[in-house]
Amino acid sequence: MLDGIITGLQTALLPTNLMMVVLGCFVGTFIGMLPGLGPVSAIALMIPITYGIDPASGIILMAGVYYGAIFGGSTSSILINAPGCSGTVVTAFDGYPLAAKGQAGKALALAAYASFAGGTISAIFLLLAAPTLAKVSLSFQSADYFALMVLGLSAVAAFSGKGQVVKALIMTVFGLMLSTVGTDRATGVERFTFGSIDLLDGISFLLLAMATFALAEAMMSVLERVDEGAETQDMTKLGSMKLSKEEIKEVAPTVARSSVLGFLVGVLPGAGATIAAFLAYGVDRNLAKGDKKDEFGTGSLRGLAAPEAANNAASSGSFVPLLTLGIPGSGTTAIMLGALISYGIQPGPRLFVDHPEVFWSVIISMYVGNVVLLILNLPLIPYISRLLIIPKPILVPMILLFSITGVYLVSFNSMDILIMAGICALAIFLRLLTFPMAPLLLGFILGGMMEDNLRRALLINDDSLSFLWERPITLTIMLITLLILVAPLFQKAIKRFFHIESNAESLTID
Amino acid sequence: MTLSKERIGALFFLVVSIAYGYFAAEIKLYPGDELDPMTAQTLPYVLSAMGITFSLFLLINGNHKEFGSGFAHLNWKPVIALMLLTLFYGFSLDWLGFLISTTVFLIAGFRILGEKRIKVLLLVAVPFVFIFWFGLTQLLDIYLAPGRIFGS
Repeated sequence: MLDGIITGLQTALLPTNLMMVVLGCFVGTFIGMLPGLGPVSAIALMIPITYGIDPASGIILMAGVYYGAIFGGSTSSILINAPGCSGTVVTAFDGYPLAAKGQAGKALALAAYASFAGGTISAIFLLLAAPTLAKVSLSFQSADYFALMVLGLSAVAAFSGKGQVVKALIMTVFGLMLSTVGTDRATGVERFTFGSIDLLDGISFLLLAMATFALAEAMMSVLERVDEGAETQDMTKLGSMKLSKEEIKEVAPTVARSSVLGFLVGVLPGAGATIAAFLAYGVDRNLAKGDKKDEFGTGSLRGLAAPEAANNAASSGSFVPLLTLGIPGSGTTAIMLGALISYGIQPGPRLFVDHPEVFWSVIISMYVGNVVLLILNLPLIPYISRLLIIPKPILVPMILLFSITGVYLVSFNSMDILIMAGICALAIFLRLLTFPMAPLLLGFILGGMMEDNLRRALLINDDSLSFLWERPITLTIMLITLLILVAPLFQKAIKRFFHIESNAESLTID
Repeated sequence: MTLSKERIGALFFLVVSIAYGYFAAEIKLYPGDELDPMTAQTLPYVLSAMGITFSLFLLINGNHKEFGSGFAHLNWKPVIALMLLTLFYGFSLDWLGFLISTTVFLIAGFRILGEKRIKVLLLVAVPFVFIFWFGLTQLLDIYLAPGRIFGS
């Protein structure tokens, strides 16, 4: 493991890669601050750029963008009460009241420190957990992979919040359907191409990601007239960024608790930064006593630190299943998986063996990313936020242009632009009907692998589905899947029994 | 039965799943493929069945609430204009080349979203497109085909 860490350090600390982290954090912070554009869009916009550089640098850049976007999202949550992404919705509960009291600087600083602590703690966990898990997963067979993918897809649907489960399931199936378009990898038969040459290779993952996220989110921000009212005045008067010793003492246990919780939630497939933030906030509010409890929602420091530590820890945690099993647990890691595959790298247990430099440098650069956010981005927030003053009529067409050319400059096929417009229109329609988009992307990316593994498992097992219950590992995974899918049905009964009040009812997946 | 947002979506996916299943039957297999445990049609059939099941479930059990605030209050005009502009860009890239069509795309985009000052339109779009083009062709060495109207 020490060898690996050293390889990782060598790669991550190369000047170009350091530059990638810094650049990624900046760009991510900027895009994350734009209300409406989330981390998935930010990463999607980066993918075309990463095609020209080597895979390790590419994934480092994207990881930087991911943190930056979440940090940027917190910034706009705190300053203008408009969360940039779903993972930072909770940050606004106490962050905005603090800013309204004239303590915006303190709130931003606390958010950055809490994120940093969350990132650090979970980076250490990741360092310890990932190689172990990668070694275990080397013994996995096709059947186990198939079962894991079914688990991942079901979990995303099951954790998507009240009233959303069936919709998320439908979107997952729709994503799987889209993944079958094109030439079948095993038999070479054309499927759903309708005679079109453009569809022979299937739908491009980049095109789908850009059309359903970057393009659609930019269009939605026009459609829904996202308010960009009072931001300018707040930006200049941030107030002091210092925290007193008492305040640090007050939030330290919260941060530690939330980081661990966040990491664990992040590792679970399907539950990402959003759920982690809601849970950490809820837990801390329940633990608080007396006055402190009443402070929640009106500008409590603990109420701000908890979700911030948790969402950052969860972002690192979500890399565990991605790096070790090759199975993404959220929209964001799904898009990274897609990018890795297009570099010719298959994440999973083999990644650890075949490309140790990618594996370790991502982990190390996560930590570097956290440092960059703390020492570079935080002091620069007033300046970065000034970029938000770029008027929307200028900004939106630029984002559209970047998403369109991002796809066009890879394929040089103008037909792709027309397909993109079509998919974007469909995505807007589905977003308006409140169907979640992340499961679609996840289903699309996992579809091909799932079919391959199922086919292989069937071949190995003499055409019988009995592999699903014959191996203990497969059986366990399938049982967990079943449990996750059935649990929501009994949720009401369980709640009534324990008198639990859920405060995570209306979540969406990031 | 009222048409809530969920039900519209459910109906949409019901139609999609049925059509998908129909076209799955049209997938041509090689002779002998049907003896395999899993053909190119297997997964599509399963997906179609799942899609139909889930959307029927949502159709029956879905939210009964009224349509809510509807879609009428939304800012449709500029979005439709931007969509058309995107389509136009797709067509014009081949014909007019990168420089002209991108400049037109940006200026029209700014204009659609309410920027009316001609100076701003030109001063932002033209230098931006030129720098973008320069970066792509000169620094990154990407070949951008000239428009067909210029003959090549």
